[in-house]
Order: sequence, then structure tokens, then C-alpha cells
Amino acid sequence: MVDLKETHKKFQKELSAGTVSLILLTILAQSAEPLYGYQIGKLVGAGEDEGPGVMVKQGAIYPVLRSLESQGLLSSERELSDSGPPRRYYQATQAGQEALQTWAAIWEETKTFVDNVLGGDYQ
Amino acid sequence: MKTADERIKIYLADLKAALSGADKATIQDALADAEEHLRTALENENLEAEAESEAVETIINEYGEAEEIAQAYRSWEADLPPALAATPAARRASARSANGTSSAARAYPGFFGVYADPRAWGGLVYMLISLVTGTLYFSWAVTGVSTSLGVMVLIIGIPVTILFLLSFRGVAFLEGRLVEALLGERMPRRASFTDSSLPWGERLKTLLLGKATWLSWIYMVLMLPIGIIYFSVMITLLALALGFMVSPAGAVFMIASGIPVPLIQTHNFSWVLTPSQAILVSLVLACVGLGIGTASMHLARFVGQVHGKFAKALLVSD
Repeated sequence: MVDLKETHKKFQKELSAGTVSLILLTILAQSAEPLYGYQIGKLVGAGEDEGPGVMVKQGAIYPVLRSLESQGLLSSERELSDSGPPRRYYQATQAGQEALQTWAAIWEETKTFVDNVLGGDYQ
Repeated sequence: MKTADERIKIYLADLKAALSGADKATIQDALADAEEHLRTALENENLEAEAESEAVETIINEYGEAEEIAQAYRSWEADLPPALAATPAARRASARSANGTSSAARAYPGFFGVYADPRAWGGLVYMLISLVTGTLYFSWAVTGVSTSLGVMVLIIGIPVTILFLLSFRGVAFLEGRLVEALLGERMPRRASFTDSSLPWGERLKTLLLGKATWLSWIYMVLMLPIGIIYFSVMITLLALALGFMVSPAGAVFMIASGIPVPLIQTHNFSWVLTPSQAILVSLVLACVGLGIGTASMHLARFVGQVHGKFAKALLVSD
């Protein structure tokens, strides 16, 4: 008996790996002000069991933010908050804005292609 | 029932355990992210203490299991190029060898390949500026401790001491950034902050008695002798290499000006070279100079890597 639940989970995880980067970059590129991890997680509905939202846990957002930052697409600044621990605020860099144009185009192509295949229209 | 704070501490401990074996700096980053998130989330809920301990379970659940989050950081770490290993070859090499000491050498093969290696140049710059940074660190470390001890009897002694101790942590963080930029050793991307939920007394105790503060202080003090050695050795080798390398120009100048070129000259003995001999000898010297220069670059790269490990051991606390 194939454990379909595990298979679904694995598929979900593999599929979200790339899309999360695209989603986070888009949100930060569109945002007028820098955002910190917790805000971003809430915005994309991470970690919630129901409703639309990215299918990753909130904690998984942080390494993606760091990865985007180490690629120069985001910049961040640590700021003290009135209460509680300091927060790291992220915002998209110029390179990030440019990369997003290309990423969005790649996403469009992929989406169209996958839709075509699913609709049986790929010849 | 555990308080929200205790629950967060348990989660952080789990995350740390799940990340065991990962790079120290990665662990520190992951813990800082988790702590920032969980505390911010809790704060936003704005609840009474009792409701908090229930809410924290949901918050942790939404954040993700320690094992799963650790996995995400590990894959981030695996994708992360070491600060200076820009080439894919170097990245592969460093992924292969966990200790990384030989990876740079493999990525830039051959005796002269070292000139293309940013780590060697970084090490060279680091060794040359370490005299300045070492002097500053040492002065600040010694001034801090002696001033603090001196004013201890006065009421202003306590804030002065706290400020100096905090500054040691700050310097440790900055030196970490410098080490990562020049030597390519991964260091924490953010300063470690003390647990803000603790009462003032506890935080002060961690600052005053914490291993991190005093290891940073020891590092700052040691940087003076280390800096002197690095600078002297490197400047001597470079001067020697450059002197030898320009000797053909010197020989040509002396021959052209009609000045005899002596190989050995004492007050009663002199071995003057003929022009062709002088050119030959100076060319040999130039080759020796090039050899010394290249060997110095290898030394700079090696010292840089060893120093990176040393800095990490003292400046990054578990």
C-alpha cells in the first residue's frame, strides 16, 4: 500500500521550494516599507492549516530570506524594537527588483506549460 | 503547565540539538531567527500569562517542528557559498571537505595559482592591517578593564563597566565581520543578544560572567602580539621579495651609468661582476624574489585559514 499522505507531502515540499522564493521576493518588492519575518509570515499565511497560503512553516521562511539576501536580492537591517528582541527588517534591492521581472516571466511560462499539460494540450 | 517563556527555551534547545554538527554561525543565525519570531508572535497576541502558555503551542506549531526547520537551515547552508570562494569549483571543493583547509588549495591548483585566490589576498590584507586592529583592540581591552576596576568604588563604576563589557561584545561582532570578509570563515551574521525576558540582574550576570565576553576580551588582548607578528613577518617577506624582483632594473641602471656592480665587497676584498655576469646574477635573484613572493602568498592564505578557525573558536560562543 502506497502511503499517499507522505507522497503528497513530499510533492508539496518540492513544489514550494522555488515558489516560496518568488512569493517572498514579490512581497518585499511590492512593499513600500521594509518588513520583518513575522509580518511576512502572516502576510503569506505561512504555517496555517487552512485557507490559501504558502505551504511552508513560518520558520522555513527565514532561511529563504537569508538565501535571497546572500544572493544580493534583498537587504536587511536589524532594528531594536520597543519591547522584545531586535527584529531584522528586509527589503528588496535594485537587483532584486530586476530579478523579479525575469522570475515572473519564468513563472508565467511554467504556469502556462503546466496548465497545457494538465489540459492534455502539449503536442 | 510550563510558562510561554520556558516553552520557547525548550523549543530553542530542540532546534539547537536538531542542528548539531551544522556550522556554528548557522546555528546562531537559526536560533536568533526563531527567538525573534516566537517572541514577536507572542507579543502580538498580547495575552494574559495564562492564555500565553496555550498560545505559544500554536505559535510554535505554525513556526514548524525543530527537525523540519533545522533541515531548512541545513539546505540553506549547503547552498551558501563561503564568503570568498566565488568559483563553482571552490564551492564544490568546500562542500566536499568539511574542514575546508585544503579546499582553497584544490580550487586554485599549482604554485602560482595562489595569485588568483581571493583568500590569499584577503589573508595578506588581514595580516597587514592586523597591526593596527590589534593595537586598537588591545588598547581598548586594557583601557576598559583598568578604567572599570578604577571606578569600581564609585557609583558610576557600574554603568561604565557595563558599557565596556558591551563594547567587547560589539568589537567581537565587528571583528567577526572583518574575518568573514577577508578570510572567508563564516561568522555570525548578527550580534548575539541577551535573552530579553530575563530580569536585569540575570542579564548583567551573563554579560559579566559569560564565557563569550571574556573570550572576546582574551582575543582582543592576544591580537596585539599576533598582529605584530603577522605584520612583521609579512612586511619583511614582501620587502625581500620586491627588493629581489627589482634587482635586474638596478643592475641595468648601474651598468648603464658605468658604476661597477660588486657581488661581494669588504674593505680589503671586492668581487666585481662583469656586466653580463651582473645581469645573470640579478635575474637569478629576481626569480628567487618571485619565489619568496609567491611563497608569502601561500603563507598568507594558510595563516588566514588558521586565524579564521582561531577567531571562530574565541568569538563565536556555542
